[in-house]
Amino acid sequence: MKVYFKLLKMNLLSGLQYKGWPFMILQVLVVVVTDPLGSILMFSRFGSIGEWTAERILLIYAMAVTSFGLAETFFRGFDYFPWRMVRSGDFDRVLLRPHSTVSMVAGSYFHIHRLARVFGGICAILWCLYENGVKPGFLNAVIILWGLAGGFLAYAGVFVMTSGIAFFTIKALDWIYILTNASYQVTRCPMSHMPRALKNMFTFFLPILVTSYYPASAVCGWGEGYAKAFIALPAGLAFFLFSLMIWRIGVKHYKSTGS
Amino acid sequence: MIRKSAFIANVRACLSLFRIKTAEGFQYRMAYLVNAAVGVFWGLIEITVYSVFYQYAERKDAGIMAGMDINQMITYVWLAQAIFAMVPMNIDGEILSKINSGDVGVELCRPLDLYFHWFSKTAATRLTPFLLRGSVVLLAAAFMPAAYRMSLPASASGFLWMLLSLLAALLLCTSYSMLICAVRLKITWGDGITYMMMLIGGILSGAYLPLQLWPEGMQRFLTLQPFAGYLDIPVRLYIGTISPEKALSSILIQILWSAVFILAGKLLMAKRLQTIVIQGGITDYESLF
Repeated sequence: MKVYFKLLKMNLLSGLQYKGWPFMILQVLVVVVTDPLGSILMFSRFGSIGEWTAERILLIYAMAVTSFGLAETFFRGFDYFPWRMVRSGDFDRVLLRPHSTVSMVAGSYFHIHRLARVFGGICAILWCLYENGVKPGFLNAVIILWGLAGGFLAYAGVFVMTSGIAFFTIKALDWIYILTNASYQVTRCPMSHMPRALKNMFTFFLPILVTSYYPASAVCGWGEGYAKAFIALPAGLAFFLFSLMIWRIGVKHYKSTGS
Repeated sequence: MIRKSAFIANVRACLSLFRIKTAEGFQYRMAYLVNAAVGVFWGLIEITVYSVFYQYAERKDAGIMAGMDINQMITYVWLAQAIFAMVPMNIDGEILSKINSGDVGVELCRPLDLYFHWFSKTAATRLTPFLLRGSVVLLAAAFMPAAYRMSLPASASGFLWMLLSLLAALLLCTSYSMLICAVRLKITWGDGITYMMMLIGGILSGAYLPLQLWPEGMQRFLTLQPFAGYLDIPVRLYIGTISPEKALSSILIQILWSAVFILAGKLLMAKRLQTIVIQGGITDYESLF
């Protein structure tokens, strides 16, 4: 862990060498603001869908985006891993070091602008909670954080899994977008109108709806109980451990390339 | 001054660069296939969300009031998914690594105008994904179940105008890409500004939400701004929300903005090249950790 934070610090400082770094933060903020823009404009034109108001959809969406942002901030190294380390053979050097491979790779990339998504997401969550008339309280705060932690683990799992698979093939890894950027788009669809296949995929395989919808629903009182909200963290953890297993298998099969 | 024969040689070189780069792109068929699958998935989600709005929302006829029914909407989503592959959301990897590693110096040694050299390469990197990804997405869209299927063009002339408009869109995408390249030549700025520029283009292109459904007050601005030419104009010609009589003026807007971007890109690049600092030494910054 100590090594991981040292790596993060070094990467952060090297990133700051580029004079344009405030623009990077600005850019991610623009992404965060404009990502749900389509939904917001649709809601303003069409009005709400039954009981599903813009604030409700946005809250679920913001939960998912924030946990994705957290995973992206602290596990970004895995995202670049296939191209930077497997293809070039640089993973050899990581294997030679007397530290955990996971923390070495996770810390291999960090940039402050990634936090912008988290920051924007948290602002959106707070605003939506306020708009939905949620009373601030200890239990509610715990549940939201619990859900975010679960989502963080789930998305971190996606990144680790991609890298694990990259040991076997680094061709055509784009499908992972379905589990990353496309997955939180799913939360834009009201739960009651969501096609069954989508709902099952993002509940039982990648538990994004578990970590975003259930906590939000419990806190705002939309009919899901607190008990379901507490599944969020275990579900995220389960997915993370599953991914870690794939990663372990991948490391075992690693054959060096290049020189 | 470029003499006439030198000019022709330049054009020839650029054309063959374009050909080579396109052929190169076709080697990554598998990657594009997967990319297209993601596009199809994305399209399905979007259509699901829009259909829910068209069926269950409080003001469910708001879409029709804005001039788009659900079938036009579905067709818009699929075409946008296909054409979005052409929209510049990143700088060509080869050019970017040349800028980062200082190989621009080598490029400058070639007896070829750097702007048009890169222009032809960029055009190829914009065209190939569109051809490969786009065709797969459209094929999938044509064979979807009825609730998700793409419709036929509104009219034959509309379809032909769309093809012409697509060519103009390619020109527009390439010229804006090149403007971004010229900005990126100032290496110490990093990627922040260039990403912003591309992002703004992407948002205003209509890929996030058809421009017609944006607020009424913005419509005038939206039709005149450059990025409607990326995909909104061709798609609208296809679904018939721009009538064939107005097609010519829409395409003129596309070409006008392309000309502006080419001029700006060329001037900026010339200025940047006068004071360019070639980076040398350790350029492989990955080896630092």
